[in-house]
Formats: sequence, C-alpha cells, structure tokens
Amino acid sequence: MVVHKIFKNTLVVLVGLVCVIYGLTSEEVKARPVSTRSPCINCHTDFTSVLRNGHPPVTGKEITACLACHVPKTTGKPELNAFFARIHRAHQCFKQKVDCVVCHTWQPTKSFGLPNQNGTMGKPSKKDMDLLKQIFNSWSSSVFLDALHAKKNVTCTGCHGNFLPISEATVENGRCLSCHGSLEQLAAKTSPLEFPDRNPHKSHLGEIGCTVCHHAHRESEVYCLGCHKTFQMKIPAGTINPQHQQSK
Amino acid sequence: MVKENLIKKEVIVSRRSILKGAVGMSAMAAAGSLALDLTPQKAEGSILRTIPKKWDETIDVVVVGSGFAGLSAAAEAAAAESQTVILEKMPTYGGNSIISGGSYSSWDDKYHLRQEQNLGNDSPAKWKEDWLKGGDFYSVPELVEVIVNGAAPALNWMIDEGGLEIRKVLARHGGHSAFRAHMAIEAVGRPYTEALKKIAEKHGTKIRLGTQVSWIWRKDMDGPVLGVEVTKGNKKTNIKVKKALILASGGFSRDVKMRIAFNPALVPEFNCTNQPGSTGEIIRYAQAIGADALQLAFIQMFPFAEPESGILDVFATYPAKGAGYGFVYVNKLGKRFVDEMERRDVIAYAQIKTGVKPTYSIFNRLMMQKMEGEKELEAGVRKGRFIHGDTIIELAGKLGIPGDTLQETVSKYNKSLQEGKDSDFNKKISKQMVPLAEGPFYAVAQWPAVHHTMGGLRINPSAQVIDIWGNPIPHLYAAGEVTGGIHGSNRLAGNAYPDCVVFGRVAGINAAKEKVLS
Repeated sequence: MVVHKIFKNTLVVLVGLVCVIYGLTSEEVKARPVSTRSPCINCHTDFTSVLRNGHPPVTGKEITACLACHVPKTTGKPELNAFFARIHRAHQCFKQKVDCVVCHTWQPTKSFGLPNQNGTMGKPSKKDMDLLKQIFNSWSSSVFLDALHAKKNVTCTGCHGNFLPISEATVENGRCLSCHGSLEQLAAKTSPLEFPDRNPHKSHLGEIGCTVCHHAHRESEVYCLGCHKTFQMKIPAGTINPQHQQSK
Repeated sequence: MVKENLIKKEVIVSRRSILKGAVGMSAMAAAGSLALDLTPQKAEGSILRTIPKKWDETIDVVVVGSGFAGLSAAAEAAAAESQTVILEKMPTYGGNSIISGGSYSSWDDKYHLRQEQNLGNDSPAKWKEDWLKGGDFYSVPELVEVIVNGAAPALNWMIDEGGLEIRKVLARHGGHSAFRAHMAIEAVGRPYTEALKKIAEKHGTKIRLGTQVSWIWRKDMDGPVLGVEVTKGNKKTNIKVKKALILASGGFSRDVKMRIAFNPALVPEFNCTNQPGSTGEIIRYAQAIGADALQLAFIQMFPFAEPESGILDVFATYPAKGAGYGFVYVNKLGKRFVDEMERRDVIAYAQIKTGVKPTYSIFNRLMMQKMEGEKELEAGVRKGRFIHGDTIIELAGKLGIPGDTLQETVSKYNKSLQEGKDSDFNKKISKQMVPLAEGPFYAVAQWPAVHHTMGGLRINPSAQVIDIWGNPIPHLYAAGEVTGGIHGSNRLAGNAYPDCVVFGRVAGINAAKEKVLS
C-alpha cells in the first residue's frame, strides 16, 4: 500500500515535471487554465520577465519570496508600491484566469492563507468562496467603483481590512473618509453651482452612509433621486437618474 | 369523557395533515413549537413558522421605526433605564417625519405664543372639538383626549431637552378654529427629529439602520409578543424582547397594492409625498398575530404637492399654512374653486374636480412675512417653485391664466375681507387674513398626492395594541401613523406631530414599566 502510494506520487511528480518542462520552453507564461495549488515557479521560470526594470533580483519558488519586502498594509490607503493590487489584477485579467487556490492555500471553513505563511485571512466556506470570486471578478474587470479603486491600486483590504469579507460585510464611513477627506471637505468639492443646497454630501437627511450611494460591486446610484426625480446629479460608476429600487 | 378524547384526536389529525406538506411531526418536535401565524400554509411563499429555540440577541425594548413616534418612544424607554434599540429598515433615519412639513399643533406652549401675539383663545377642549369634527367623528375620543392634553408638555420637552428652536409666530391650517401650528426655524420636520434623536441617544438609545423587521413572534392569542425576526442584507436573526415591542413604523401610502385594496380610487397614477419605505408590512405582521386594525380606507391626499414629482418640499407647506393668512387658491381659469380654510380632503377633491392639473396658490410678500417665510420667497423663486409678478396681471401672464379673470378673483377676495363675507364659498373671514392689494405677488403650483394613512392598528390610551377581541396584546405597543382611529376620516394639518410624540412617549414610558419576560 505504501509502495503503491510512493509510486503514485512519483508518477504525479513526473507528469507534473513534464508539464513544467513544457511550460519552461518559453519566456512568457503560457496562457492556460490553472486551478490547482502550484508554486509560482511552475509558470514563471524566473521572475525577471514579470518584474519591472530595476527591480532587485528575486529568488524563490513561492510568493514568500516577494513578501519579504512587500508587507501588506491594511490602513485603507493604497500601499506605496502597489504590489498586491498589481499581482491580483495580473492574475485575474481575461487572458489568464488563475484560480485563487493556485497561489493561496485554502481549507474550506478552516483557513485561507499563503504557503509557508502563518496565520489565516479568514475561514471561507465553499459558498463564501463563490461569492468572493464573483466580487473579485468585479473588482478586477468591471465598470463599478471597485474596479475604479483597483486601477488606483486599492485592494480588498483597503476597504475591508485584514480579513476576507463575509457576505454581510459593510464598510463604515470612517474607512472611506480616511482617504477621501472629511465630509465637510467632500461637501465643499461637490457643492453645486446653481443650487448649493442640493449637495449630495450635505443632505437634509443627515450624515448618510457612503455605501448607500457608492456601491462598490454594483452600479452606484444617487439616493437623492429616489424622491427628487428632477435633480441633475451624477455619480462615478453610476448612471444618471436611476429609479431607486424601493419606490413602488 | 370519550367524546373529549375523540375531539382531541381529531385536532391532532388535522394538525398532522396541515404539517404533511411542510415537514414531518418528528422534525417539528425537534424544531420547536408552532408560532402564531395567520398565514395560510398554502399561500405562495408561506413557510411554517416555529418559535426560535435560540435567540441571537436579547433586548429590553425594541422600537420599529425612527420617525417622531419611534424616537419619542425610545427616548422615554431609555430614560427609564431600559436597554432600547430602534430598528430602522431604510438606510437613513427619520422616515416621513424628517421630510414632513414642520407644523406642530398645540393649543399652548411654554412661551404662550398665541396669547403673546393676540391671536385669540384656545383650549384642549376646543382643539379636540375641531379634531373630532375634522375627522367626521370617526376618531376614538379617549385617544384624542390623550393627545390634546399631552401636546404642550411634549413640545416643551423637545425644546428643553432636545434643543428644538421654534418660530415666534403661529399659523392656522384648514379645519382649525384657532392659531395652533408651531413651526421650527426651518419649515420641515428635521429640527424635531434631530431634537428627539438627541434626547433618545443621550439616554443610550441605539439606532440600527438598514435593519428590517420581517416577523413578529407570538406563541398564541393569550401570550405576549416574544420577539422579532430581523433581516439585514441576506441575513436573518431573531431578537428576544424582554419588556416590550413598540411599533412606530409609519403609514402605508407608498404601498400601492394595500392603499388600493382599501380605497380603489388611489391608483398608481397619483404621486405620493412619502419616503419610499412607507409600506404596510408591519401592520400585516401585527394582524397575523391577532392585532386589530381599523379605518384603513381613510387615506389622505395632500392637496399642495409639487405637481410633477409629488414632493412635499418646503415651498409646498405654504399653501397649507398660508390659508389662515389669506392665500387664495385658483384653477387654470383663474377662478377660486373652494373655501381655502376647508379640510384637506375637501380641497384635494375640489382640485381633482376642476379636471385640469395644476391649481395655484396666489399670495404676496406680506402674507409670507406674517409666517416668517420671507427668506423662503427668494429660494422658491430661484428654484422655479414660486412664480413672481409685480402685478397680478404680470403673474397671470407667467402662469398662462387669463389676466382679467385672475384680477377679478383677487378684487373679489379683497372685497370679501372688507365685507367680512365670502359670497362664493362661504369662507369664514378672519382679521388675520391679509388683502392681496400690495405686491410683489407670488404663485405656487399644487396638485394632490397620496399622503397619510389615518387608519392602522388599534390602540388604547396606554398605547397598547388591541387584539381582534378587544384585549391588549401583552408587551405590544404602537404609536404614530401606524395606529388607527385617532384622526378619523381626515387628519387636520399639524395634528400628526403631537399624535406621534405624545403617544410615542406614552408607549415608551409604559414599555419601560413592563415586567421582564423570563
């Protein structure tokens, strides 16, 4: 039984090696669907082809090679060098759909992390992961606010903090305002010329949650227009004059 | 003896057959006891409800809704040291209250404004008389009694403890025989909701936004309300209520299906002044656990809403308040069509009867000054809501109304002030009415929109919800527009505020006194 197992493992490795050798024949990464855990080096013979000019040489097989310098920050501001945004975007663009588990380790409902790294970023179930992948897709390639943030190198942690967001996750105003200034500053920026009291950031309804209008993972909508149907108001990553869902 | 057993067996059998379609008996026993639920099991989307065996959270007093009634109730419950949480389903607080027209009726206040301004006599009894008459005597008099006596103390409470600032003048709305309408500096509801929120939060109330009550838990028609099911996003949780559940969820004007069910005339073509959340599900959940509801057909239209969107903005409040100071309503032909001091339903139907939308209020600067509304004149003109004319003829031209007809109407009105008699519509002329002699003149377009549901859950003077047999449902209270039998067939302007705040306070005070459920 043990012998059988060793034989089986060797076979797997041999097959794997063949695939790797195939892959290693070109400098560029071959575009092919990848969905099992494998070290970076399986696709990237060395990292120089994907690193920018002037980047110090990197050795290693796994992402730990990069984490030595690129430490994730979760304060909400984009990291000084947008490593995490770029690496996720690169692996999620339409040419190369790389599944999360190629780079990440995942034990459903138990842990989610990186190889050779302690700690876990969450305990996503299969259902949680399906939702995460959906939203991740939106972040990397949609026309919504999340994709606008992605282009500025803000990742999930920028809004959601250290751990993988769960389906009931909300983002409180303090988070948004830590980058986008105080509400007073925002109000000053969006003060309409003609009718200054029609300011979306100085509503007669009081301080409104940013995410009431600014939806990250779907079309943003101007809440005011739900009642004030004739106001001329626009919002990034939204459409003009949407009908608010709840009006019957 | 034998017969008893036979009957018992029958009961068990029919229960079993009810459950056959849903879930097996053994699974049922494991899940918990059946909850009181008047939803037919065959109804689409109905599920078999069982009392939660485990509660996600326990709270002393839960208040549904964050308008005047909810905030007042929470403020009093929290002040009495009960752990109090307001559940608000919308993303912002304040419901209709925060966007409403700003008039708080009271026969008196701590400044004694009416007396100071020599605006005549008034009393709780006189006010109650107007109230009952305005609603065609459908109101439950004991409930009105509570409000007319509690209105002044409640207003003073908001001023003293909440920092509310009011104008030093009063207005007189249609249907009122005295000047009772108090207004905040800004002619909207927000100053009041801010004051109430201040009091409520000062005493420790927590407001949860985006949190919707999706069921009310009760075991049977004898027992108390046990708690609520709450939906937030995709997640459902169950909150156990230790002392009381207070329903302050407002009216159902936006619930087109429900409003048409009770009054078929209120078709979707009519605009609505309300915020989008004014729907009737809480009334239905309460009825599903035995609560009685009354007078649901009595639904009011606000006559002076902005004609295109139905919005009741600050400018739309003036035709109502200004009636006492002489605002004149004309149709597209330039003629008056109703006694401006009449009730809202009379005015709304008179407008619809003219057959042409919109109608207009004609007024002048002097009238606005009487109401401390001069600042709003400029804003109104800038926003295209108020049309300005140096003369009546000029104003008529801008409105597309025959100038000579409008001039004739205005002259007739001025004459009626001199003679003390309105020969066309029998309006009672009062000395506060200002002649339309001196310009500049203004007009505002107006058209009826669905506005307020007078009917709702039955309560007693202690704000307890009453069941279909006339008994209070233990641990269940209600206050504000969600209740019925207070305004009768037609609510007079300015009477909703004191209804909400007074009964909100009564509900909160009584809720805090309840014995804790084990």
